[in-house]
Amino acid sequence: MSERQLEELREFREFRESEETPKTPGTLQTQKINDDLLSSLRPPTLRWYVLALCLGAVVAWGLAAFTWQMTHGMYVTGKNRPVMWGFYITGFVFWVGLSHSGTMVSSILRLSQANWRRPILRAAEAMTVFCITVAGMFPLIHLGRNWTFFYMIPYPNQRGLWPNFRSALLWDMTAITAYIIGSSLFLYLGLLPDLAVARDRSKGWQHKVYAVLAMGWRGTAHEWSVYRKASTLMAALIIPVAVSVHSIVAWDFAVTVVPGWHSTIFPPYFVIGAILSGVAAVITLMIVIRKAFHLEEYLTPLHFDNMGKLLLVISLLWSYAYFVEVQTTWYAHEPIEWEVFSFMSQRYTPQLLIMLAGNTLLPIFCMCFKRLRRSIGTMLVVSLMVNVAMFIERFLIIVPSLSHKNMPFAWGSYSSSWVEISVNLAALAGFALLFTVFAKFFPIVAVTDVRELEARRAEVSMGRAKVPSIAGEED
Amino acid sequence: METLGVFRDVESAARAVDGLIRAGFTEAQIDSLTSVPYPDGVLVKTGQRSWFRWLALAGGLAGAVAGFGLAAGTAWLYPVQTGDKPIIAIYPTAIIMFETTMLFTIIAAMVGMFLEMRLPALKKRPYDAAVSDGCIGICLTIHPGGEAVECLPGVRSDECIGEIAALSAGEQRELATDVMKQAGALRIIGEEMS
Repeated sequence: MSERQLEELREFREFRESEETPKTPGTLQTQKINDDLLSSLRPPTLRWYVLALCLGAVVAWGLAAFTWQMTHGMYVTGKNRPVMWGFYITGFVFWVGLSHSGTMVSSILRLSQANWRRPILRAAEAMTVFCITVAGMFPLIHLGRNWTFFYMIPYPNQRGLWPNFRSALLWDMTAITAYIIGSSLFLYLGLLPDLAVARDRSKGWQHKVYAVLAMGWRGTAHEWSVYRKASTLMAALIIPVAVSVHSIVAWDFAVTVVPGWHSTIFPPYFVIGAILSGVAAVITLMIVIRKAFHLEEYLTPLHFDNMGKLLLVISLLWSYAYFVEVQTTWYAHEPIEWEVFSFMSQRYTPQLLIMLAGNTLLPIFCMCFKRLRRSIGTMLVVSLMVNVAMFIERFLIIVPSLSHKNMPFAWGSYSSSWVEISVNLAALAGFALLFTVFAKFFPIVAVTDVRELEARRAEVSMGRAKVPSIAGEED
Repeated sequence: METLGVFRDVESAARAVDGLIRAGFTEAQIDSLTSVPYPDGVLVKTGQRSWFRWLALAGGLAGAVAGFGLAAGTAWLYPVQTGDKPIIAIYPTAIIMFETTMLFTIIAAMVGMFLEMRLPALKKRPYDAAVSDGCIGICLTIHPGGEAVECLPGVRSDECIGEIAALSAGEQRELATDVMKQAGALRIIGEEMS
């Protein structure tokens, strides 16, 4: 601990022992919660810098690969006729999927007033913002002549060009823009009272930054009243946006006549897949945050138990949707559809097996048992496996269908190049870097929400009985 | 002008609110500052109807119009004839309209929320950082004083004050300070008259 940290700790202890210490209902004192949950905002350690440097190096490598692609042309990727969508679009669909669950899970749990949600909200919402940012990069990287990306932006220009809204690419752009802005505002809304706490407990330039971001929040009854109504409204508004984003991504495929893609089940199937990967990613992040910031007291086995149950339900739904899709193809035995499926199962057998194991067998088996749901190690393995499997699933949707389209003389195959792999790895590192930096500057566990939960747990005496405290209010 | 009393717990803060009302101040003049939300009436009664959702609705309507203009209007202005397909396609127009409607609704909801909260605060208001640590603040809006104003619906909180408004602002503040100290205020923070 540095001198400054020791000094802060001493001041905090003195305050806690003083007469002014507030008597807040709850099992954990308010100051202790503040102290624990804002500990992540302390000055970075050497270990943090090393981590950020490593992640930054991978991002730099990805940028170098992308520059190589821009200067040498798209031939440096593995894309070739007939497979013109490869690892980039796989990455795009995968990251959009990951982004899906954060805000969605947060909103659904908020609207359903699931109290256990509180410590995990912030990580889920931040995950959404960073995932959708990373996802939004992929169509731009995939464009080819990347420097003309602004052709997609509708504005009057000398070329007399106007974006054609009949193109699914424009739907993506509109939906992703709406989702990035909506998710960022949703994240900021949740942060607002916590920024005021950070403002009150910081000094110097940090205090100035938090003061600007907190906008003069004081926690008046009127502010809380409006805030709660706005939170509920925003939670209700963001869900249809989240569903629409992944439905539109599914329509990128489903509105074509490519065998294997032209299916009515695609939008709900994509949405379910997105929630599955998103829930798994939230679990992974919870484990990392818990370990990194020593938040064992706040992210308890109960949270993993509940998230495990959610994972089980979504995994069952995904398995059902996948079964329906395959079973329909198999029973109809339409030649070209069956050809695509046969090609996929023969050419990509190991990948197919990993996908089924990771998305179906492993989560369904493990999440049936309370003991395994409450085991942090098991949850880490399962959540990581789900996302590896989901990446493979995205790949298996895209590449086999494009490899074996309607004209057999134009069949081909695809192998990803080092450039595509580098860019995808950089995307992963970029996400991790954004999250790491965010966690250093903003409370990664919702302080106010946790305090409210503690206040609700409090009991007051009424005659001979102890009844729940009324502190806190339903949405 | 506002005066803030900082209390160690809800009970003493509630005593202060009762004391202020008994002294002649009105409910509309009193506000609480807390680190977690309390149900209406535990400390003060807000009882105000929220209007920002109407702004969200207006934003949504504006978004729908903007989306329609963007997708259908520009398709009409810059026609691209593709086979036998219509120039204005319903399906893409509906998608774009939906997204812009939701986007504008969300933005308008946020803007409305801040407007209704009167944030960002442009001038400094009494506040104590101990509120973040769980203390309770009771904030009283002091009337400029000199003339009693009847509390009728629609009269602003800093205007709505009965007999006590006959006292000067300084006397009102002294009275409020006494009441809050008696209730157990840890400290009183005053805002100077601007």
